[in-house]
Amino acid sequence: MKTNRIIIFLFLSLLILMPLDFFLIFRVAPTERVMGDVQRIFYLHISLAMAAFLSLTVVFISSIIFLWKKDLKWDTAASVSAEIGVLFATLVLITGSLWARPIWNVWWTWDPRLLTVLILWFIYIGYFLLRGGIADRFRKAQYSAVIGIIGYVDIPVVRYATKWWKSIHPLLTKQGGGLDPVMKKVMFFSMATFFVLTVFLFLFRFRLARMEERLLILKKRMED
Amino acid sequence: MKFMHDAVSILRKDILLEIRGKESLSLMLFLSLLFLVIFNFALDIDKENVSLLASGILWVIFSFTGILGMGRTSMSERDEEAYLSIVFSPVSAESFYAGKVLSNLLFLLLMEAFTLVFFAVLFDFEKIIGMLPQLLPVLLLGTLGFALVGTLFSFLATASRYGEVLLPFLYLPVVVPVILGGVSSMDIILNGKPGGPGRWLQIMAVFDMLYLSISLLLFRYIIED
Repeated sequence: MKTNRIIIFLFLSLLILMPLDFFLIFRVAPTERVMGDVQRIFYLHISLAMAAFLSLTVVFISSIIFLWKKDLKWDTAASVSAEIGVLFATLVLITGSLWARPIWNVWWTWDPRLLTVLILWFIYIGYFLLRGGIADRFRKAQYSAVIGIIGYVDIPVVRYATKWWKSIHPLLTKQGGGLDPVMKKVMFFSMATFFVLTVFLFLFRFRLARMEERLLILKKRMED
Repeated sequence: MKFMHDAVSILRKDILLEIRGKESLSLMLFLSLLFLVIFNFALDIDKENVSLLASGILWVIFSFTGILGMGRTSMSERDEEAYLSIVFSPVSAESFYAGKVLSNLLFLLLMEAFTLVFFAVLFDFEKIIGMLPQLLPVLLLGTLGFALVGTLFSFLATASRYGEVLLPFLYLPVVVPVILGGVSSMDIILNGKPGGPGRWLQIMAVFDMLYLSISLLLFRYIIED
């Protein structure tokens, strides 16, 4: 019951936070000097990236706890987080591409950061392919935990390798630092909003997954 | 001591199986030969560009042919649940893993040697054989990375209903650093590019150590369920 109330509370606050976030992004934040309005996509792009990273960290930690405690609850937590992580990572790639077209004049470039996110995306797609291919509930949990751990540990190595790979080539762009104070505040608000969204999605999806599992057990009992 | 002894027993078993059944290595050799033929059409290789294309072609062949071979060797363990008899024997999960890594490493290295020789013959590129001493650390570190990840993931993949087909989806994204390191350092060596392959060898070595430690920790969860 308590989780139910938290979910409803988060949902109601998102009804206010989300439109407010978009209002701040499109109306309040100043237009960037060089990139113009396109830069506004950053507020979403970076917030989404943060949310994706947060979700995949939850996958990693839940996977370790599952292997340790052997409680399927942790596997459910890992798998729903992976769903949210893949969703956000996909949106990160899409928003990044939309930004890159007018600014870099290409939809895609083999920049280390882009390549790292793309590979991360592939790893977690593999995570779901594996889950889809194993019927036994416990085995599914155990095997996907292995991917959940390895995938997460692999990312820094990929990042390092791709960075070194590209450092031989000329750098394509350098992002300028120094954000305007209003921009900073909007960015912070946007990240906070997406943090709430991530927590909401996680709790909502987790509860749904637990109910599905309970239903499955009940059905089996009825059949017996 | 017992750890190494057990691992070598597993390796011997796999060599024996290969000699009798010719299921893994011979398939890999044929596939790599086929790849060479296809690359010849696809890229129009001649004397001018062969040195520039060599490292890319070779590592694509190593990666994909390796998947086939490693999928096969773990499938042979899954067939009729053969691996269970090893799990129930006094051999630890870690030495089982080490033995399978050794046998995969051996078969992959043989396949790579074969591919290098045929590459030199078919594309008139004898230079690559002469450079073998310099290429050896690249091949060893890269192939060790392939074997470490491939052995672990092929056991995961073959347990699913997709079987070996799932292996590339799990394996390729994870071994990107190894492929990147292998291609780049081989390219640097073959074309005498500045900087030397040192940094890339370091990246591959770090990757190998990381995967060795993680796999030794996690492999028992894959076979003891």
